[in-house]
Amino acid sequence: MNAHNQNYIRTRLYAVLLTAVLALAGCATQPDPNLLRLSESTLEIRAMQTRTFAAASETEILAATAAALQDMEYNIDQIDSPLGIISASKVSDADSTSEKTTRFIFDLLCGCGGSQFAADKHVITITTVVLPSLAVQGDFVTRITIQQITYDKMAQVTSRSAIDDPEAYQAIFERLSKSLFIEVNDNA
Amino acid sequence: MRNAKLMAACVLCMSLGGCAATQYDVAGASAPLEIRSVQTREYDALDKPMTMRAVIATLQDLGFTIDQADLGLGIVTGTRMLVSDMRMTVSVAPKADNRVSVRANARVGETSITQAEVYQDFFVVLDKAMFLTRNNVD
Repeated sequence: MNAHNQNYIRTRLYAVLLTAVLALAGCATQPDPNLLRLSESTLEIRAMQTRTFAAASETEILAATAAALQDMEYNIDQIDSPLGIISASKVSDADSTSEKTTRFIFDLLCGCGGSQFAADKHVITITTVVLPSLAVQGDFVTRITIQQITYDKMAQVTSRSAIDDPEAYQAIFERLSKSLFIEVNDNA
Repeated sequence: MRNAKLMAACVLCMSLGGCAATQYDVAGASAPLEIRSVQTREYDALDKPMTMRAVIATLQDLGFTIDQADLGLGIVTGTRMLVSDMRMTVSVAPKADNRVSVRANARVGETSITQAEVYQDFFVVLDKAMFLTRNNVD
């Protein structure tokens, strides 16, 4: 290989390197353009997240909702009563007892500290919106949305998602229904 | 010698790449008027509180939880947990002739969303929510 060829190869190498660096620098890509497109299951999800309750006033049902959130061990982050919004959150242990036991045994057997890679805590954020029904006077429509972030023992995020388990919503509405019953009877 | 030159080129490129990271993006990059028009729609069907109601329903339809809301200022901010958090602020302002202007801006992680089609999709969902609210459907 003569000197001319070597120079040519070297020049090309630099050009490729420079292009790669420039291309990487341009990697601040735009997010998925379909981010705000409704999914086909929206109506089902909305139905799962919504219940209608009869109550004497908006204040009564908002107070019952806040109390139900406290019953479920949430702290209230934000309230806007004219808009009927209550947002709350809690940090909870992400591991079931059986998972913990399995991991403890795993740690004992291999002594490799496997626990540090395991899920450790959830941050659960819940928003309830309670508004007077537009269709039936005296009814209040309550809609709940819940999301979670899971962190591992190293405080790294392992998942972020909406919670769309119907049983979770069912359990919350049962709590809310009981809380409303207590609220009504306390004030009676 | 050749290796040294290559190394020098690499170091130069890396240091140039590093320069961008030290700047704080406090003022944003987009053209204000252009992006405003993409992010804004005007409606004449509902008043401000009812428009707020439709906006909140829209955010919930899209899977957001509400971080902050203020009826007086007509502002709602929500978060949707994706691989990175998506945050959206929607402001509702009354205009002349019973019209209401709705503006939305969104970020995903470190990136501001500037694509017109994303905002179009948001307003498609809001249009439906406005229609339902106007027709007294919960």
